[in-house]
This record gives sequence, structure tokens and C-alpha cells, in this order.
Amino acid sequence: MNEAFFVQLALSAAAVGVLVGIAAWAKIARPAGPLDEHKARGLLEYEFPGRRLDAVWVASDGAGALAKSGGLALVICQVGDGFAARQIPWAQAISSSFKNGKLCVDLADIAAPRATLSLPAWPPKDLAA
Amino acid sequence: MKAEFDPVTLATPFFILSIILEIVLARMGKAQARYEAKDTAVSLGMGLGSTVAGVFTAGLIFAATVWVYEHRLFTIPMTAIWAWVAIFLLEDLTYYVFHRVSHERRFWWASHVNHHSSQHYNLSTALRQTWTGGVAGTWLLWLPLAWLGFPPAMIAIQKGISLVYQYWIHTEAIRRLPRWFEAVFNTPSHHRVHHARNPLYLDKNYAGILIIWDRMFGTFQPELDEEPCRYGLVKNMATFNILRVAFHEWAGIVQDVVRHPRHALGYIFGPPGWSHDGSRETSAMIKARAAEAPAQPAGAIREAA
Repeated sequence: MNEAFFVQLALSAAAVGVLVGIAAWAKIARPAGPLDEHKARGLLEYEFPGRRLDAVWVASDGAGALAKSGGLALVICQVGDGFAARQIPWAQAISSSFKNGKLCVDLADIAAPRATLSLPAWPPKDLAA
Repeated sequence: MKAEFDPVTLATPFFILSIILEIVLARMGKAQARYEAKDTAVSLGMGLGSTVAGVFTAGLIFAATVWVYEHRLFTIPMTAIWAWVAIFLLEDLTYYVFHRVSHERRFWWASHVNHHSSQHYNLSTALRQTWTGGVAGTWLLWLPLAWLGFPPAMIAIQKGISLVYQYWIHTEAIRRLPRWFEAVFNTPSHHRVHHARNPLYLDKNYAGILIIWDRMFGTFQPELDEEPCRYGLVKNMATFNILRVAFHEWAGIVQDVVRHPRHALGYIFGPPGWSHDGSRETSAMIKARAAEAPAQPAGAIREAA
């Protein structure tokens, strides 16, 4: 690695900074509004086709949702202007930590470590078992 | 391994200017493009990191290529036009094989997955390049070209030309090109299909420059207006942590092998999504399930997202 390589690398890093700044300035992210129950169900049905949705909780800020499907919890969380989805055992979702209106769900996946959902209460009393 | 004439280095200013142009045109409403700042930062950061990572294996790859070239079958002149036509076709076929293996076997997918990890499809996505390609050893696939007698510099130049060609097709700004062009060449439309996670589009359109290889080997899928592309991975990433983007599938392989050592070969060399107990889904399983399920109207999916 010679000096020219480091100069090229530094210039490239500066260019990356400028381009990210322009992308942020442009505000041309996907216009995905917050999830409501209808949108959340549609997204859950697409991500988990054929799964029965026993109950759905949508984050109060619309940035995610959690559904009970038999013994599984189906989780959707916002990532930038998109969403990621994972399924975990229902018992794992029930035992997730809930503090100050935030449910922190451990998704046990290196590519999706956790999802944080704003909910009024957790766990739901009638489905806690 | 860099030739004195390096198409990628020469094209770098074009990369930067074209990204700015795509963003500005989209901002003005003159072109179809979506950019999200964190996603863009990861894509460009991966591109920058790949140039650094490449330095660590460049010496090995160069030495191996030169060694093979010293044991070549023929001596092919770099100045002959027929030689450039031949390497154009052979390198592009090699790329098809590399790309197909990189999608259909987990060990190589671990290196390639990051290129598909964005939920966006724009020019910055093209630069979301691997950091672990040298380790994955897919460069071995190009050694037969040196063995045939193509000079290492010639191979490097053609690889660079292919990489630069594949840059501009990462865009939604260009819908369809003339029919003759779509029939022969890889285009934005064909490559959008390749980056889509819709079951119908999984494991299709592996082409580098020429789409003819997909047509010949049965992996071609045209983009359908009634099936809009949804980009990213079957299981999208829920983080912008660049280290997780670069290494998550490698870490997943290690995790699976440690948990199920008796099934190590399957977890390393099986198709992505393979599991010993059938608890996960491969592309083939997803496609089969989707083919059986009633079609979901595209409008409903768009609305939900």
C-alpha cells in the first residue's frame, strides 16, 4: 500500500461523505407512512404467507408491529424507510423486556439483533400464557 | 491484481457524478429513484471497504494468476481483436458461473449477500461490494482463462470492464431499453429482477454483460409489470451496522456449524436457507410455496409496504 493508495482512499472517503450528505438533503426516501392495523396486516401477510394472525399489535408510532400466530410471534420492525420481519417463539416475545413504553424484542438473529416497538402495555394479559 | 489500464479507477469519477445526477433528477421529479441516507452510507461504505479488503488478497490472486499463466496452453496476443472478442465471451461466461454459485451455495453466498442487502435499488447499491470475496476464493474461477493463455492484464481489464458495465444497470430510472438490446444484454430491467425478493424473481438473471447465458441455461426471468420488484433479502436485515452487513452470513454459518456439527457440510455448502430439520426455507422451497398459494394482488402489497 503506497502513498497514492492512501490519497485515493481519503478522497474516496470524502466523496462518500458528500454523496451521503446529498442523499440526506434530497429527502427522496420511500414515502412509507407509519403502519396502521390494515397496513400491518398486509405486510404480515406478505412476509409470512399462509400464517394465521390471532392478534396484532401495532406500535404507537407506526414503526413496527407484532402478531401472535399460534406458538409464534411475528415481528415487523422499521429499518430506514423499509421493514424487516422475523418470527420467534411466542414465549420469547412474552418475556421481552418492556420499559417506558418500549418493548425490546430479542430476535436472536445476527442480521436482525433486536426490534424495539412502542406499545402502551406488555405483555397482553389475555394472551400472556 | 490491477492492470496499468484499470477501467474501475477510470470510471470512479463517473460513478460519483452519476449518483449525484440520479439523486438530483429524482429530487426534481425527473427520474425514478429512492435514496435513504443510512442505506446509501452503508452501500458506499461497503464499496470503500471492498477496495481496502481487496488489497489484502490482491497479491495472492496476482501470484496465482501469473503462476497459472506460466503453465498456459497457448499464448494469446493482447493486440489481436479476436482475442478480445474471445475473452469478452469467456469472461462473461465465467462471471455467470461465479454469480450463480454465489447465489446457490451458502459458502459463496456469505460473501455475496451484502450486495443484495439493501432494500433499495439505485446506483449506490452497485457499489455495495463484498469485503470477503478474496477469502471466498471465487477468483479461482478465472484461473482457467490464464491457463488457456490470456495474459493476466487482459483478464484484469475485462473483469474491470464487466464491473463498470454492471454499475449503470443498478437503477430504476431506466425502465426498458430497445427490444434487441434487452434480448442480448443485461439491462436495468433484467437486473432489477435479480435484486428482487419476490418469490418469482429469486435466483434469476445472473448475467454480467450478456443476458444470453441466462436464456441458455434456464435462469432468465423478465420483469413483469404486474409483479413490481421488492428489493433486498428474503429475510431483510434489521440493522445498518456495516460490520453485520459485511459478515452476518459468515457468522451465521459458524453458529450453525457449532450447533449442528454433524450437518456442517450442509450448512456450509448447501443452498442458502438449507437446514437439517427443514425449519428454514431455501429459494426453491419459497418458489414452490408461492406457486401453490393464490396470487396476492400487487396493489395490496404496495399499499401495505
